[in-house]
Amino acid sequence: MRSKDLKTQEFKTAREKDLLRHIISTSLKYKLWIGLLIVINLVGMYAYYRQVKFGLIVTAMRDYTSWGIYISNFVFFVAISLVGSLFSSILKLNKNIWARPLIRISEIIAVSAIICAAVIIIIDMGRPDRFFFVLTHFRIQSPIIWDVIIISTYLVISILLLYISVLPDIAICRDQLTSVSNWKKRLYRVLGINWTNQPEQVTKLKKVSKILSVAVLPVAFAIHTVTSWLFATTWRPGWDSTNLGPYFVSGAFMAGAAIIIIAMFFIRNELKLKAYITVMHFDKMGKLLVLLSLVYLYFNINEYLGPAFKMVGVEGEHISELFVGKYAPMYWFVQLGGLILPIIFLMFAKMRKPLPVVIISFFVILGAWFKRFLIVIPSLQHPYLPIQGVDESYLHYNPTWEEWAITISSFTSLLLLITLLIKLFPIIPLKKEKLDIKLDVKPNN
Amino acid sequence: MKIKNPNYSNLFRIVFFLVLVFLNNNILHGQEDMQDASIVLSFSDESNTKMITATVTDPLGNPAAEVELYFYVQRTFSLLPIGKGFNETDENGILEIQFPNDLPGDMEGNLTIITKIIESDLYNDLTIETIKKWGIPTHIKDTTHQRSLWAASANAPLTLIILVSGMILAIWFINCYIIFVLYKISKIKPIIS
Repeated sequence: MRSKDLKTQEFKTAREKDLLRHIISTSLKYKLWIGLLIVINLVGMYAYYRQVKFGLIVTAMRDYTSWGIYISNFVFFVAISLVGSLFSSILKLNKNIWARPLIRISEIIAVSAIICAAVIIIIDMGRPDRFFFVLTHFRIQSPIIWDVIIISTYLVISILLLYISVLPDIAICRDQLTSVSNWKKRLYRVLGINWTNQPEQVTKLKKVSKILSVAVLPVAFAIHTVTSWLFATTWRPGWDSTNLGPYFVSGAFMAGAAIIIIAMFFIRNELKLKAYITVMHFDKMGKLLVLLSLVYLYFNINEYLGPAFKMVGVEGEHISELFVGKYAPMYWFVQLGGLILPIIFLMFAKMRKPLPVVIISFFVILGAWFKRFLIVIPSLQHPYLPIQGVDESYLHYNPTWEEWAITISSFTSLLLLITLLIKLFPIIPLKKEKLDIKLDVKPNN
Repeated sequence: MKIKNPNYSNLFRIVFFLVLVFLNNNILHGQEDMQDASIVLSFSDESNTKMITATVTDPLGNPAAEVELYFYVQRTFSLLPIGKGFNETDENGILEIQFPNDLPGDMEGNLTIITKIIESDLYNDLTIETIKKWGIPTHIKDTTHQRSLWAASANAPLTLIILVSGMILAIWFINCYIIFVLYKISKIKPIIS
């Protein structure tokens, strides 16, 4: 820790010190963490270099499974990006004051996840240099174009939401953080846009914040619904469903809540914010996770009961493969370990304490990732119109090391982005919230 | 010392082979006697009954009796057989078949009628194609230049264009408005008391 910087820095209040000190001081642990993420990213970049050099043949994707873990990972990233709207819109508009300290965390995760989702889709392209053809030769009839439009729109809205939420605190950083490096000072000056906490400025900011809180909701629903339509408009077993939109959206909110719990846990411990992110927050988030998981369970039952009851043709083969076939262990892990057991456990108050709830959330996230795998890959292995004399390699899909390296580095990129954004900005609003006053939140020292 | 009996079976084989060669040669030679028949088709369409009359003659112009003819109509992927199952000319070399009234033709009602002699004992194979306006005109909807989901981008359905553009404009109007308000916020000068 650069304790020298921390000593020379003066804070007006203990709250400011608690919430700003991580911006000034840099611990060895932080440097090692960043170093580890960069090393993993470098391995991923080497794998991607090989993919660009030799083409998609280095992956296990073939004519049947033409969407592999890249696309399931893309769906996962889009899913967790929805968490921004959960906090900035749904909980905010419903006046859940307890959730206010978590809004920025959710927005940072949303921005980072949607950037990673956009990048992973380009990584999935055999010829990334042709990406701009999508824009120059676009067809408005194509769900892929709808996805490109909605992702870029949601990215802009998420950045705006984060920026509007953090703007008053950027101004405080600009005015008060004297011991930060010059580039940070410049950054705060540019991003601070002459914010001086004038009543007129506050009024205007509140107004746009409210507009955005309402505007983000349909966009958030659209982003994941359109992602589901990429599948629903393709004629494959398991995707030919009218349930897919709400099924995807509800799953996304569940995954988003779980990732917030994990982020809360680590931010609380590493930035020493136990007075601000309290046991009550974990309890409330645990309850919210149960609610969202129950909604998702309902859509899961809808998704599988119909086809499993009828067991028609390839649709039946697909269901058999999931229920009792080669994907059965993964399927039942996802449904039991990632959905049903978390619901049961989280109903007990003891399980909503920080450590148990974070462990449960890990399982939910793991389940959510493998769920996307199960949505994308087994369906592709059962085309309605099979190819004659099909090559043996088309029938199986075992991702290569390049695919795993790139996928894992997409996670480390997400963590890197989140870490860097947390390092730059106060993660909890510096202004005391109503709830803090009510709960008599006492700063750490 | 044992004297071997002459091997008659080998001798038999050689003789059999020579007979085969002779017969085969005869067959091949016989094929040279195949003649080219000629077919004259006449079409009649009276009181909604379409008839095709085929007159088959040999190279000398004599009627070719008992010649089997095959009639087809060209369809998209294959030939549709018409007439009876077995069509043979009479002693005058004439054969008459009825043509169905309900076959769809091209946009003008044209059909390609194919008459064939196939694997006849006396005559070489022969195919005659005749185009006749005996079909029901088919009005093919040319969808390539119509607005549809599967058309090129320039022919996207208007409702889709309006709906999608409307939504994009609405949300980007909000985004731009917010950026504009942020710009205005940046221009508010602090009140100096």
